[in-house]
Amino acid sequence: MPSPASYLLLNPAKPSSLRRLSHPHPSPCPRLQASRLHVSCDAQRGGGSRTGGGGRREAIPTGASKSKKQIVFFDAAPPVAQPQPQQGGSAVEKGGSGKPTTKEGGGNAALALLRRATKKTLAALSNLPLAISEMFAIAALMALGTVIDQGEAPSYYFEKFPEDDPVFGFITWRWILTPGFDHMFSSPVFLGLLALLAASLMACTYTTQLPMVKVARRWSFTHSGERIKKQEFADSLPRASIQDLGVILMGAGYEVFTKGPSLYAFKGLAGDVMKPRGVLSVAPDVFNTEVHVNRFYMEYYDSGEVSQFYSDLSLFNLDGKEVMRKTIKVNDPLRYGGITIYQTDWGFSALQVKKNGEGPFNLAMAPLKLNGDKKLYGTFLPLEDSDSSNPSVKGISMLARDLQSIVLYDQDGKFVGVRRPSSKLPIEINGNEILIEDAIGSTGLDLKTDPGVPIVYAGFGALMLTTCISYLSHSQIWALQDGSTVVVGGKTNRAKLEFSEEMNRLLDKVPELIGANNENVVDGKSTAT
Amino acid sequence: MLFATLEHILTHISFSTISIVITIHLITLLVRELRGLRDSSEKGMITTFFSITGFLVSRWVSSGHFPLSNLYESLIFLSWALYILHTIPKIQNSKNDLSTITTPSTILTQGFATSGLLTEMHQSTILVPALQSQWLMMHVSMMLLSYATLLCGSLLSAALLIIRFRKNFDFFLKKKKNILLKTFFFSEIEYLYAKRSALKKTSFPAFPNYYKYQLTERLDSWSYRVISLGFTLLTIGILCGAVWANEAWGSYWNWDPKETWAFITWTIFAIYLHSRTNPNWKGTNSALVASIGFLIIWICYFGINLLGIGLHSYGSFTLPSK
Repeated sequence: MPSPASYLLLNPAKPSSLRRLSHPHPSPCPRLQASRLHVSCDAQRGGGSRTGGGGRREAIPTGASKSKKQIVFFDAAPPVAQPQPQQGGSAVEKGGSGKPTTKEGGGNAALALLRRATKKTLAALSNLPLAISEMFAIAALMALGTVIDQGEAPSYYFEKFPEDDPVFGFITWRWILTPGFDHMFSSPVFLGLLALLAASLMACTYTTQLPMVKVARRWSFTHSGERIKKQEFADSLPRASIQDLGVILMGAGYEVFTKGPSLYAFKGLAGDVMKPRGVLSVAPDVFNTEVHVNRFYMEYYDSGEVSQFYSDLSLFNLDGKEVMRKTIKVNDPLRYGGITIYQTDWGFSALQVKKNGEGPFNLAMAPLKLNGDKKLYGTFLPLEDSDSSNPSVKGISMLARDLQSIVLYDQDGKFVGVRRPSSKLPIEINGNEILIEDAIGSTGLDLKTDPGVPIVYAGFGALMLTTCISYLSHSQIWALQDGSTVVVGGKTNRAKLEFSEEMNRLLDKVPELIGANNENVVDGKSTAT
Repeated sequence: MLFATLEHILTHISFSTISIVITIHLITLLVRELRGLRDSSEKGMITTFFSITGFLVSRWVSSGHFPLSNLYESLIFLSWALYILHTIPKIQNSKNDLSTITTPSTILTQGFATSGLLTEMHQSTILVPALQSQWLMMHVSMMLLSYATLLCGSLLSAALLIIRFRKNFDFFLKKKKNILLKTFFFSEIEYLYAKRSALKKTSFPAFPNYYKYQLTERLDSWSYRVISLGFTLLTIGILCGAVWANEAWGSYWNWDPKETWAFITWTIFAIYLHSRTNPNWKGTNSALVASIGFLIIWICYFGINLLGIGLHSYGSFTLPSK
């Protein structure tokens, strides 16, 4: 990955802003050499939490030589006592930007006020407890929205939550209708909360996430030992060289950058940050097309259940020319010029019946309400002349679950038989010969135009990708040569326990510059948490 | 008929094997750790895995569609997913407490699926038109994998909570006995585990608080990792569902009860993940959120099906009336 940083490492001869920045004195002072000589052996090895210290560290691991990248370190580190320029209280200095940004003095007072107000609002919005309580509130409202029946007429709520007998002692219809909880998902309260959450998210993105991205992109160095020690994992290695640490980290698969006395390493961070691009779609032209249903038919399983229903659609333009023809089914809609036609439903529109050879009559089928999602249609063939004086006309009832078989009942409501429309087999009921000619189905089509769909899908894609990326683990390590001591700090987003174990293992491999009195070699695991 | 017999045999093998496995686990926890028993419990889990896989494959072959069309099949798939979760840390060979959660969870889901409650659902059903799509495989399997993962993660969190508040535990249990019954079952194991690990390391000077701290810390870390994985899967599952809904119903979001509750689950676990960024809330508070999430998942997965309302009514079942 030829990121600018690694390029720099590969070509150290190239003049770079980085080098210029980090060395106010052009000649690196040979402090390290000196420290090698002067350091006394009183400091015990393995300060901090490591228990496996005290031993001489092993040589550089072979992994380092495997990697093709070469790191060229500066000859020696300058003394850390040298004050580093610190800006605005932040000890982190961005590697890329050469000069510290100076604040522009003197500005418009009103502008400053506005800026402060914006800052305050942003801070308030990006407040974590606020965002969390917003999410809780939204979750609670959604739960409420599934408990209360949605989209009924007001009278339904009057009946269900009466004023004189409130549910749980206090909930009357006023509680539901006033905030608009009868249509929860479009009620102003719910939408307002969603908007607030969106504002919080955006504020958080602006104040927290974007700076994090910047930091991640610019692979920062840290020059303050205090800051390094504040990391989740921190350790200090007396009598060690930061170069050895760098080589060992590279052997463990880290990308390592050094500058003077400081080191920065990371694993798993993407070199460049993905930018999701919104896709804007063009609003469709007016739908000047005629939809014609050529045929509607259904397929059945052997058991008689509906397997699939199809509509054969033709689209004609204004000149009457067919522009498109397609058989649609559920899960396979037709798309034409921004319009989508879905097969969503089917119905039973009419039954063609011959009575004693007369007809055929078209009997309209009425859907009968059943609990459950099974469909049932019924129709009625009167056998007597109906007049207004006699409302209880007797006749033949016909029921059907689907277009395949019709169940017939006689005048007294007794079951007579089942006929298939295709069989052409007459049936005798109360002295009348009934022949079912045909069953006419109706198709339920949904026409929809939604230019927002590509945007929403782009959002879906971005969300999926970012959630997956956020699950990838990455770790960052900072180190600083402080005299002869190397201060190491690191953090990771996942696998915190494993990270500290790995770090302990790696740090144990850093060779000691002066042989300690203790000669036994301790390598491998150290128990620490 | 052949397939039916095969399925029957396979379910029974898996169920009895996993019963043996859980007995072994209990023995290991309660009495003492026996090396041989532990290995055989691993073998038992592998046997279970193969029989569940065999069951799913034979279902797939016999019905001709991905075996996720009703609640019974989805429960079996859930226990399969729990097994997968059980295996993942084994690949990295890292020590973990997940198996204490996954094994009893697998037996509970399996036991419930094969229990008499749902016998009429054991037959493979035909697919209604709306389900006849390739998305079925993607959406439903993703959702179930994420449910399994999130359930494990939230159980780890619940265990953390209970270990931390062990003193007040008796009171706690009395008060919310019914709700926490299941949670208690798992956490007792965790509790015993804590005791055992404390006993095992007696060579060190015994600091019970230190071991407690270490255990909760480990539980916290693991539940975070497991929940983040589950959250990723849930996101993918919901979004796949939205895309499919746009194909089948003409709209990617209908505020259908199941959808809404999936979104509530998502929100709760998003809260969990965010609450962990605050160092003060990390640990107890976030574990509390995750434990709420445990109940929410069951409402989403089961409660909505029990009501049988909305567009997702395929998975519904009716309890036999007495």
